[in-house]
Amino acid sequence: MKQLERVWLIALKDLKIFMNDRTAAFFFIIFPLMFIVLFNTVMKGIGGEDTRLELHLATQEAAGSLSYHILGAMETTDESLLKPGDPKIVWDKDYDAARQAVENKKLAGFIAFPADFTQALSSGNSTSLEVYADAGNINARAALNGLAGAISSQIGTNEVIIKASVALLIEGGVISPTDSAGINKAVQQMMTGYFSGATNTGASYITFKTDKVGEVVAMNPSNYVVPGYLVMFVFFASAIMAESIVRERKNHTLERLLASSVRREAILGGIFTGAAIRGLIQIVIFWGVGILVFHVDMGLSPAAVIILSILMVIMSAAFSLMLATLARTQRAAGSLAVITSLVLAPLGGCWWPLFLYPQWLQNIAKITPHAWATDGFNKIMVFGADFGAAVPSMIALLAFALLFGLIAVWRFRTSAT
Amino acid sequence: MIAKDLHKSFGDFKAVNGVSFSINKGEIFGLLGPNGAGKTTTIRMLSTVLAPDSGQIIIGGHSMKSEAEAIRSIIGVCPQDLALYEDLSAIDNMIFFGRMAGLNSQDARTQAMANLKLMGLEERAKGKVAKFSGGMKRRINLAIALMGNPQLLFLDEPTVGIDPQSRNNIYENILGLQKKGMTVLYTTHYMEEADRICQRVAIMDGGKIIAMDTPYQLKSQLGSPDKVTLEDVFLKLTGRSLRD
Repeated sequence: MKQLERVWLIALKDLKIFMNDRTAAFFFIIFPLMFIVLFNTVMKGIGGEDTRLELHLATQEAAGSLSYHILGAMETTDESLLKPGDPKIVWDKDYDAARQAVENKKLAGFIAFPADFTQALSSGNSTSLEVYADAGNINARAALNGLAGAISSQIGTNEVIIKASVALLIEGGVISPTDSAGINKAVQQMMTGYFSGATNTGASYITFKTDKVGEVVAMNPSNYVVPGYLVMFVFFASAIMAESIVRERKNHTLERLLASSVRREAILGGIFTGAAIRGLIQIVIFWGVGILVFHVDMGLSPAAVIILSILMVIMSAAFSLMLATLARTQRAAGSLAVITSLVLAPLGGCWWPLFLYPQWLQNIAKITPHAWATDGFNKIMVFGADFGAAVPSMIALLAFALLFGLIAVWRFRTSAT
Repeated sequence: MIAKDLHKSFGDFKAVNGVSFSINKGEIFGLLGPNGAGKTTTIRMLSTVLAPDSGQIIIGGHSMKSEAEAIRSIIGVCPQDLALYEDLSAIDNMIFFGRMAGLNSQDARTQAMANLKLMGLEERAKGKVAKFSGGMKRRINLAIALMGNPQLLFLDEPTVGIDPQSRNNIYENILGLQKKGMTVLYTTHYMEEADRICQRVAIMDGGKIIAMDTPYQLKSQLGSPDKVTLEDVFLKLTGRSLRD
């Protein structure tokens, strides 16, 4: 019990020293907030608006063909009628110009009806839709493939019905089985009718089903800027404290504590608790400002965000202790703190969201606690995931904290030992 | 306090090599020696922060091996370095170390004020230690060692680098503490200091005690105690070669 009281008193002492140091307070709180304001402002325009997906279509057939009728029916003529999430269908009248636009990277891609489209369908032969897309634009390619698949499927379904209808017309004597022109005309009319019917209601040809998974405001940069810089500065602020722990070792205050009935575990616990409380103060201020000023949305699970933040603080405090036990001099501790913070923060997705990195870099980033923390925050606050999605990040942060803590306990020395 | 056949090595270096001595209750005992003689290592072992490789330490009837906690509760340590928090005020330093020594909040505050007064620093109680002079910091360093009213005080070169006024203040306080029954183990490089306040001194070199007696008796071995200084004795015993 006495040792626990000493843990608390050592933590309070460290907090008092911290509060007395205005420069430190500036670098712990004000400086990070300045970064957040700056990067939040810079990134505000990026992806801040919900740009509607545009899908381009073209045909190699001449006017009056079946594809002309289909495109006319599908083309978005009044964007205001589209629902949120519906794509805008754009008809590129010049096939060659559309190809050139893709070549020049001015257009992500388009779907083209082939020159024999009407002929093939009328005669019951198969034909292919052409998807012409920029290979590097995965999203556009996927959307165009989806649309092409939907058109093919719809045409296939309609074809069966139309064939049956034509058979009935022939059987009823309305059309002669030898009247090819009459049959072709009937097929075209019915096919066009099906596509027109799809758009007359105002519904998009492709429909999207959206399940609401949280109150996430899309692309509010604060949702990744605030957690990113929180992770960076909580870690940095803790790491830099390693310098003062080394100073305590060098000026023999730790030795003095040991000589006055304070156990080494209590000294470690006190330093750790002080660092953790400082970190908690930081996250309370960061989240408070984030929510009140930047309208940060904690998504479906604020509890997960809070737990991740606390684990980040605990891990950082343990790292600080470990660093202090590994560094022999104050200068070494300070340099190591700065270097590790500046290397791990960008690698771990604190400066830019981790999900923008190529997969191989995301895999490498997982060696840093920062990456686990930002990944957890992003899942909750950017992608609207639930608590369970952040659990791997929580376990990883806990594991890092235990690893750093064990090394600190193992390596802890005073000036006398 | 009894130290018996203490040994301590750091790798191949034998810092303390068979040191034995005892200090009587209420005595001021001087531990003298050139740099690297083993004085600080001896004090660290006696103050429980460093475990000896072998040997026995008994303080106030408690054995170091089995009752280190009891020993810590009756000793005070004033290390050679300024082991204090410069970003805190004098009173905050005192109270903090008082609480660490096991005092409750009220007693820590009362003792802190009393010890600051003893050191002539009561008016600077709320001043930040970083802004104090070297002498004031030394006095605070000593005042902290007095928190918890220790029975045995270890003073490791408490007067290094300070002005004569502060040094004199510290001497007078040590003598005053002795009058109140405190036992003191004192290390210093200032021979006239040891001669003035220590009842007995031990001279260490190479990790061993090479002489131990009253200053008067040690000086008598070289000639008339009125003409011989303790420094003469020291140089005679430890030689004139430089120690780093």
